[in-house]
Amino acid sequence: MSGLAIGIVVLNVVLALLFSLGAAPILVWIERRVAGLIQDRLGPNRCHIAGIRLGGLVQSLADMLKLFFKEDFRANAIREKFLFSLAPVIVFVSAFLSFMVMPFADDVYVEGERFIMQGLPIDTGILWFLALAGLSVYGIMIGGWASRNKYALLGAMRSGAQVISYEAAMGLSLISVLLCYPSVQLGDIVRAQGELLGGILPAWGIFLQPLAALIFIVTAFAEANRTPFDLVEGESEIVGGFHTEYGAMRFGLFFVGEYVAMSASSALIVTLFFGGFQLPYLNTQTLHVTMPLILGAIVIVVPLGSFYGIRWIRKHNRWALPNDCRNRESAWLSNIIIGLNGVLAAGIGYVWIVGLSSFSTQMLTALLQVVTFALKLLAMNFVFVWVRWTLPRFRYDQLQMLGWKVLMPLALANIIVTASVIVLRGA
Amino acid sequence: MGVKIVPRHGKTLREKLYLPAIFGGMKTTLRHFTVNLGDTPQIKTFSYPEEQPHDIGERYRGVHRLTKREDGSVRCVACFMCATACPAECIFIEAQEREDGVDEKMPKRFDIDLLECVFCGACVEACPCDAIRMDSGIFSFIGKKREDFIQTKEQLLAREAKENA
Repeated sequence: MSGLAIGIVVLNVVLALLFSLGAAPILVWIERRVAGLIQDRLGPNRCHIAGIRLGGLVQSLADMLKLFFKEDFRANAIREKFLFSLAPVIVFVSAFLSFMVMPFADDVYVEGERFIMQGLPIDTGILWFLALAGLSVYGIMIGGWASRNKYALLGAMRSGAQVISYEAAMGLSLISVLLCYPSVQLGDIVRAQGELLGGILPAWGIFLQPLAALIFIVTAFAEANRTPFDLVEGESEIVGGFHTEYGAMRFGLFFVGEYVAMSASSALIVTLFFGGFQLPYLNTQTLHVTMPLILGAIVIVVPLGSFYGIRWIRKHNRWALPNDCRNRESAWLSNIIIGLNGVLAAGIGYVWIVGLSSFSTQMLTALLQVVTFALKLLAMNFVFVWVRWTLPRFRYDQLQMLGWKVLMPLALANIIVTASVIVLRGA
Repeated sequence: MGVKIVPRHGKTLREKLYLPAIFGGMKTTLRHFTVNLGDTPQIKTFSYPEEQPHDIGERYRGVHRLTKREDGSVRCVACFMCATACPAECIFIEAQEREDGVDEKMPKRFDIDLLECVFCGACVEACPCDAIRMDSGIFSFIGKKREDFIQTKEQLLAREAKENA
């Protein structure tokens, strides 16, 4: 392996970590601020390091520190100490690993060697995700049972009931998607979505399989234990549900695991139904050919976006006193944004002067696709948060009713229709 | 009396689908989100403490004060009406004879324990001489020790009514 190849592998691992683990504090921040804005309030914005608040992003850091340094308390009544400690680990690890098969860019070829741009370069794709995402519920059930607390046990029971209600519909909705694409490997599925549908629409999963997309998104909410299906931790009825007895970093692992699972679910939704890393109308080959033009477009679009961004910051992050930390932070942030724009322009200018080799074209394409994937992931995560602060919680018989009587028949009908269409077109 | 027929909801296909209602709700929350994101300063949240509440009216029950007569002496006659009326039993009065001829009796000590006080205003209602009022407009009282919260006669006398601009 050459140094370049090792570099790409390391880059993949770092990106996978950033998208899953690094996303957790950002998602917590987004959740709180979006919740605030939806409810006509501000949300946490006071925590700061030397006057730098970043709109409250520092709050996540403070919370993390608090969870780390809190006393690691475990009630004496808990007998199964090992299982009690194992449960959050299962939840976290399965959520974390299920992210590892998400491709965040098209395959890169270096010296004839193919590199799959995902955390773990394996071909199992959806199967890996389903296996690990299904595993996380064991963590919840073991944790709830080992807590020796009736509320925790009720929460664990609910999680079991929840799994049997959505897992079938989820698997069936995926089958009709897999019928449309030739492979279970997510990279292939995304590549197939780079084509055009009748020359107008991008061949995204949501246009090919709208019903499957709907069913999968609904069940993904249940999978990630998010509202409206977070009945596992129904705090209004069963205190905290399965994590009633957990505190400090044990709870922290559950908490981070929830956000990582949410991020992984969004990543799969984006990958299957929203074209993954593909820019609409610009698939990898087109990107390779038109790279200079696209760089030109970036030079125009990014400074324009930054201009509006800086204007927004100046308007919203200021205070009447001239030397207030908000004003200083705004100035600091706008300088950083201007500086980054300068670096970007200089980099693109350099690329223009030197010219694009085949390798640098590939790397720039990969970079663009990673950014596209990140933006789509962020948008999908926003939908998760948005839904959470809109819808009330389902009762768990309602969830079972929905899963078995509505979603599963729909998914089955969808499979039959899809299969018939494919067979008829093939024949 | 006429019969009022209450329409039962949830029977039509549109309502059974749930999705139109869900999207309607999501539209509402998204509208709130975008409006607030576009113009955060119009959100009603105060940036306390830089921004102080401006809705403290004349009748707001803040920290107590003892009123004075025209000559500047204490108006209180140590009748114990307020201490009797107090549901939290936070007023401690020790009376003494008044020597200057204005009145017969005055408080030697007049302590209010703000940690006990429930700010109900019963003492103000009970006072026959209008000697105790809660119109200082102080809504947040800060101390570093428990003793700081026991307000003495001198502290209560020194406080003035909030000027309503």
